[in-house]
Amino acid sequence: MAARAKRPEDVGSKEYDDSGELIRSHHKQAFEYISVALRIDEDDKAHKEQAVQWYKKGISELEKGIAIEIMGQGEKCERAKRLQAKMTTNLIMAKDRLELLAKVPSAS
Amino acid sequence: STTTLTTPQNEVESLMHEMADESGLDLNMELPQGQTGSVGTSVASAEQDELSQRLAKLRDQV
Repeated sequence: MAARAKRPEDVGSKEYDDSGELIRSHHKQAFEYISVALRIDEDDKAHKEQAVQWYKKGISELEKGIAIEIMGQGEKCERAKRLQAKMTTNLIMAKDRLELLAKVPSAS
Repeated sequence: STTTLTTPQNEVESLMHEMADESGLDLNMELPQGQTGSVGTSVASAEQDELSQRLAKLRDQV
């Protein structure tokens, strides 16, 4: 018989170990994308519409990181949860910024 | 002897940091896997804070 899917308890313990790491990897990607967006956005002379794509990429990474369920308890999980909370804050702020940029007729 | 077993861990750690400071070593570079995870999360949190600050500054600008 073919190997069956992992039993829930196996998957559960694996997720418990990796969720923090997974969240960090999405954070890292999001941080890089949004940093690029901010560098463009902070430059008055830059074409702001170029920042839009980077914000969108960053937002999608933040969403992936926030969607990860943290199982269990303890200091490690608390840290991961705090990181997710900060990512949520930035998700909202980046979306607001994106909305504002979308409204502005591209000033060139 | 049981003396080594009963030495408080924080004493050992502060001694290690003292030695590291004196020799200019970065202890974090040698941390085992479990520890690097929490250091990584702290760094990540700080990076998220940085993004928040920069996004907040831009908030009312067009």
